[in-house]
Amino acid sequence: MRNLRRFVAEFFGAIRTLLADDSAKSTMIVGILIYSILYPQPYVGEVLRDVPVAVIDQDNSTASRTLVREIDVTEWVDVTAFAPDMETARDAFYRRDVYGIVIIPEGFEANILASRPAPVAAYSDGSYLLIYSNVMRAVATVAGTMGAQVNYARLTALGVDDGVARTMLSPVTVTNVAVFNPQGGYASYVVPAAFVLILQQTLLMGIGLLHAGRKLPTGGRLWATIAAYFVLYMIWVAFTQMLLPFLYSIPRTGEFGTLLLIAIPFICACIAMGFAIALAIPWREGVVFLLVVIGMPLFFLSGISWPVEMIPDNLRTLSMLVPSSTAISAIVAVDQMGASARDVAGAIQTQIVLTVVYSTLAVGLSRLPRNRRQ
Amino acid sequence: MRQIATRPALAFMLVPLPLILFLMLAVVFAPGLPRDLPVVVVDLDGSTMSRQIVRMADATADVEVVEQLTTLNEGRQALVAQRAYAVLMIPAEMEHDLLRGQKPEVVVFSNSQFLTAGGIVGRSLSATVSTFSAGVSLRLLESEGIGTDRALELITPIPVQQSPLFNPSLDYIQFLLSAVMPTIMQIFICAAAVLSFSRERHSPNGMARLLRLSKTPTRAILGKLLPYTFIGTFVLLLGDVLMFSFFDASFRGNVFVFFLSGFMFILTCQAMGAFIALIAKDTTGALGMMGLIVAPSFGFAGVSFPRFGMTLFSQVWGAVIPLTPYLQLRTDQTLRGAPLEYSLPTMAWLFAQLLVFSTLLWIMTRKTAGQGPVSADEAINETREGNI
Repeated sequence: MRNLRRFVAEFFGAIRTLLADDSAKSTMIVGILIYSILYPQPYVGEVLRDVPVAVIDQDNSTASRTLVREIDVTEWVDVTAFAPDMETARDAFYRRDVYGIVIIPEGFEANILASRPAPVAAYSDGSYLLIYSNVMRAVATVAGTMGAQVNYARLTALGVDDGVARTMLSPVTVTNVAVFNPQGGYASYVVPAAFVLILQQTLLMGIGLLHAGRKLPTGGRLWATIAAYFVLYMIWVAFTQMLLPFLYSIPRTGEFGTLLLIAIPFICACIAMGFAIALAIPWREGVVFLLVVIGMPLFFLSGISWPVEMIPDNLRTLSMLVPSSTAISAIVAVDQMGASARDVAGAIQTQIVLTVVYSTLAVGLSRLPRNRRQ
Repeated sequence: MRQIATRPALAFMLVPLPLILFLMLAVVFAPGLPRDLPVVVVDLDGSTMSRQIVRMADATADVEVVEQLTTLNEGRQALVAQRAYAVLMIPAEMEHDLLRGQKPEVVVFSNSQFLTAGGIVGRSLSATVSTFSAGVSLRLLESEGIGTDRALELITPIPVQQSPLFNPSLDYIQFLLSAVMPTIMQIFICAAAVLSFSRERHSPNGMARLLRLSKTPTRAILGKLLPYTFIGTFVLLLGDVLMFSFFDASFRGNVFVFFLSGFMFILTCQAMGAFIALIAKDTTGALGMMGLIVAPSFGFAGVSFPRFGMTLFSQVWGAVIPLTPYLQLRTDQTLRGAPLEYSLPTMAWLFAQLLVFSTLLWIMTRKTAGQGPVSADEAINETREGNI
């Protein structure tokens, strides 16, 4: 009982130490709160709508005007300019007034009426993939729908039966269903994943700030300190994976129990790694500097924005030394896709192994003469 | 300069580390385009035609069929366990329905939680099914006595010629790597400037001594930052050489404009970093504050999600960060090869940032040199911002 009371006292002592250190407090508490507001800001719109495009309508007929109107009413693009020629359109494009150009050549309507193919052209900027896919989707969809109507009219004019004509033109329908992130929202895709990395980086930094180049607490006090970080970060896990999605209306399906099964070993692995780094680099600024710069590369190694299948095997294996490389996609799978513990068993095992490896490393480093002298 | 040489750890962090990170990312994005992404098939029909669809899907460059499953539930399982990015579901009796003229429906379930990969496989599988459908359509029309050429014209009455300007292969190296590199560089440059100024700022009488040594604030600032400017420019150059020579990223712009922009970008980042170092309370606080401003800047720069689709706050916030105009200039000068006049406003914008941050830095240098180190009482009176 007395032991427990002492432990609780030391636990709160560790929390007080954390709060007393301005840098640690701003990293592990204030910083995360600010990130929660700031980081998702660019993506709160979720879906890219109304990309401004310029139209060069060389036909200027009823058919071409209909096509332009249909393109304009899609949610993907917005026709903001009519250009007389490519020169003018290109100028607007370089100025970033428009991001796509649609050309309807002369004879568009005449070709349709004469049952000849009536091609149109769409140009967009391949250096911004999201914009490009919006423009192409709008033009292709509208051209497809309009083409189907034209065809249907032609076939029925040929005396083909109504139902048969429909079947002939598209014998098989294909439906694309987006699962887990139905509206294909950008915030839903990037925010939950980014916050797993943010938790890892702030935790590693915080431990570095509090312990790098300083004497480690001993015995029971060390365990109380670890427990304090653990409890604080479990609260953050709940906050970033449950409350944030709710605040930003990001759909989520995960169960909290399953989330704990991956989050607990993940946080343990981060704490162990934090101590190992703090003991290896006894220079506080160095720890923070290193962690600030490797954040972004780590995100690209997690498989969220760039498929893991594309990462060379050796690099993938090496990257597994960092908890986030496997934990990000596992936590996202549990929280956003409703994965069960069995689905992410591999990642859970990796986290446990990392916890053991880094704990051993930290213990080993703490026995070094350099760290014993302090 | 001497300070850099005497601290091997710092030296490592300034030159080899960014290059190691560049190389690592270059290796990650080396394929340029995701290929052979895993998908699973749930073929409830098992007919000649359904097998043909599966073969066609597997033959495309983007997609590889890794498993054939028997129920949709298993397919969902494969998505959740991340064994596949999409499920292609072919309904029972598809061939039979098709021959009887009842339009069967093929469904593609793509995992949009992984936006890039899910999008690529979803589009690829849909395109495969559409191609298959067009083939059937062609045969049906021919059986009605319509000639092959005529039938082909009937199938696509309004063909769309889709052309990506400036990135013909829609390659991720051009798109991501060339934007990620400067982003990482920005973090390095800012952090180095923070460290260099913090050391003077947060040591007793450091700033006053610095000013005594160098006579004027301008000289003090230049003396402290120029070594890092050269290092930064050198590293950025190396990274670019790697990109343009090794990865054949397209460069169509004006070399001089491109380098001038890079140089201005580095100076602006330094001024920003040094300014942060002077207003923060201690070195780690300054680094933390810098991290808060710089780390999310990739999102605000509008590479992944365009700026015009953002809220006003994000547009304004992004406009203050040096990365935003610089990445635009890079796009202009590398991929787009835009004539100079189009880049001038963006260059003016970057230059304005440089002026603003330099002026702020100059004012702060004078101010802090006039006082001793921050004492404990002052620290408490400092604004909350200093703590962040």
